[in-house]
Amino acid sequence: MDSGATLEELEQRPDYDVQLESLNQWQLAWRRFKRHRMALLGSALFLFMVVVGLIGPFIIPYDDTKIGLPDAKFNAGRPPSIAHLFGDTGRLHRDVLTLVVNGTRLSLLIGVLASAISAIVGTFVGGIAGYFGGWLDTILMRIVDALLSLPLLFVILAFSQFLGEGHASWPTMVLIFGMFGWLGIARLVRAVMLSLREEDYVDAARAAGVSDVRIIFRHLVPNSLSPIIVATTLGVAGVIIGEAFVSFLGFGVDPATPTLGNILSGALEFISQGNWWWAFFPGAAIVLIVLGINFMGDGLRDALDPRAKV
Amino acid sequence: MTDGAAAAGPAAPTAPAAGPRPGSADERNGEALVEVRDLKTYYPIKAGILRRTVGQVRAVDGVDFEVRRGEVFGLVGESGCGKTTLGRTIVRLEKATSGQVLLDGGDVLSFDGRDLKKMRRRMQVIFQDPVGSLNPRMPISDIIGEGLLAQADKQNGWGERKVRDKRVSDYLEVVGLRRDYTRRYPHEFSGGQRQRIGIARALALSPEFIFADEPVSALDVSIQSQILNLLIDLREQFDLTFLFVAHNLSVVQYISDRVGVMYLGKLVEMADVAELYAHPRHPYTIALLSAIPDPDPRVKSRRLVLTGDVPSPANPPSGCRFHTRCWLRRQLNNPENCETEDPPFRELASGHRVACHWAESVVDAAVADVVPTADIEVPTELPTPQDVGAPVVTEIETPSVTDVVEPAEEAAGTAGEARPEEPQGPTQGRV
Repeated sequence: MDSGATLEELEQRPDYDVQLESLNQWQLAWRRFKRHRMALLGSALFLFMVVVGLIGPFIIPYDDTKIGLPDAKFNAGRPPSIAHLFGDTGRLHRDVLTLVVNGTRLSLLIGVLASAISAIVGTFVGGIAGYFGGWLDTILMRIVDALLSLPLLFVILAFSQFLGEGHASWPTMVLIFGMFGWLGIARLVRAVMLSLREEDYVDAARAAGVSDVRIIFRHLVPNSLSPIIVATTLGVAGVIIGEAFVSFLGFGVDPATPTLGNILSGALEFISQGNWWWAFFPGAAIVLIVLGINFMGDGLRDALDPRAKV
Repeated sequence: MTDGAAAAGPAAPTAPAAGPRPGSADERNGEALVEVRDLKTYYPIKAGILRRTVGQVRAVDGVDFEVRRGEVFGLVGESGCGKTTLGRTIVRLEKATSGQVLLDGGDVLSFDGRDLKKMRRRMQVIFQDPVGSLNPRMPISDIIGEGLLAQADKQNGWGERKVRDKRVSDYLEVVGLRRDYTRRYPHEFSGGQRQRIGIARALALSPEFIFADEPVSALDVSIQSQILNLLIDLREQFDLTFLFVAHNLSVVQYISDRVGVMYLGKLVEMADVAELYAHPRHPYTIALLSAIPDPDPRVKSRRLVLTGDVPSPANPPSGCRFHTRCWLRRQLNNPENCETEDPPFRELASGHRVACHWAESVVDAAVADVVPTADIEVPTELPTPQDVGAPVVTEIETPSVTDVVEPAEEAAGTAGEARPEEPQGPTQGRV
């Protein structure tokens, strides 16, 4: 301390108020993310699909529940035209663009909500197991092991049949996917917690008398957030594909409410009659969303790695 | 400390912000602040699906000593000898298996809830790793302020952000950093600066006792002395008491008042620093001190090199734990009690305690040959070997090479062979 100067004097010194700009870990991560070209492309793709899903229904002139007049000549559906850019469906003549836009919104909603539930439950279970350890850890992790050894797709089909009698509402689908999606996250969070709780800064906090709750929320959770974010992001793509698969098999959301999966399911019947557009456009939407999310997830993984260069 | 900032905060431990302390620290210097009684820390070894305990690692296995108020107690020993575990057990970062730790007479190991929290404020830790000990996602204000917030009460007012921030800045200044570094993050600092932040974090709680766990061993040599000098200054300024763990013998010699030597979970020798470095009596201490390199390259030092590896703390040797590697035992023709009796940690001279049955047979003249810090003059208070009827070692048998430069561990393999021209007979024990 330089002698002779009182605190008041020190505060008067010109350099004292200069606040040096300093970036925290999240700002550094954002800087790295911005330099990741594929991640930016993926994010743009994903955001585009989100925007399509959110504002598309207000722009498109058709109602997704509107059914066209039956037309024997075009029983397999009309091909893309100016009036119907993506064509329309067989038999009921619903506008495919309207279906895709609404389906995108619902599929994204199911994906995001189910992943969010997975992330919350998985973080909670994995966090408790990893931080407290001992018999609690053993019991929780054996439950996770047991659930992971079930063939999940069939369990989901069975649950869908049981909860929605074959035609579940979309919140039911969110519940089902959320219920089984947390297993992987729980394992991940437990592993991260096990390594973090040995860190010196956790010991330093304990040595200062900081409570367990505060250590968990101020030290452990923020430091385990990066892998959780990456896993959750990639999980959204997984749920969207899973939901499409379940709906395609006819165990998903009621066809009256379009999701990308059940649109595809209906298209199957007419694809051999030359109706490619009914399957192509929702399929392309799935590919774009999943691709976008995966690129974004890869970018996040790189950006959130603290060892990466700025 | 002459400025106003000091009076307001850090330099005045009796100021309300720092909390009251019973009596003036100076008056009570020399009294035991931390007493450790037969402390044991065992870790279970678990195996099989049922996770049954099949054995125990005896990291700390019955340690007795006290740290006196105002002193720096240095603790040395090889890696894995339990010195860090001992310190961590004392400050309640590891769970003790048995024994007692008394802080000003209060039983630290029995504290919980509010008592434990109060104790935590009085005993702080400085960690070895300047990178791992600071949370990379927290600004410095939170890293140092966190403990203040946890220890906040009506009296110190640390619950208020403004009070806390001012104290954080005060202590940054105390450790030689700028006051306005508070909003920065750990990755913006160098290793030495980070260690200063770690020191500021420990000091901000106005502790009485600090466990410094190899605080300089992860730093650059040029930074080491800066940090050591800082610690010495702070000790004066804040009446601190240190338990200083290190494996660098020169560092310990520089900073300590008293030194304890640990081997396989036990203290084997303890004395004032000058006494220990000049007149070591335990064969292990002599071997350790013999490893100190001489800064003068022209001096051809003879180094005593230990043979074999450190035995496993899960299955320590019978009797004296050091007997498997002991050069003194070999020179004395393997006396039986080394293998059968665990030597008591007895007082050899005032304040000099040794756990060796044959400590009296070591004479300074022999020690001086291999230990660069040894002092050849024999102190009068030490009993002469003849008084206790022990055999005398007049020369310490050193291994094949006369100017060993490798560390002891690396040379261990070849150390057993003796050079033929070296006189063997006279070095054997004589009564």
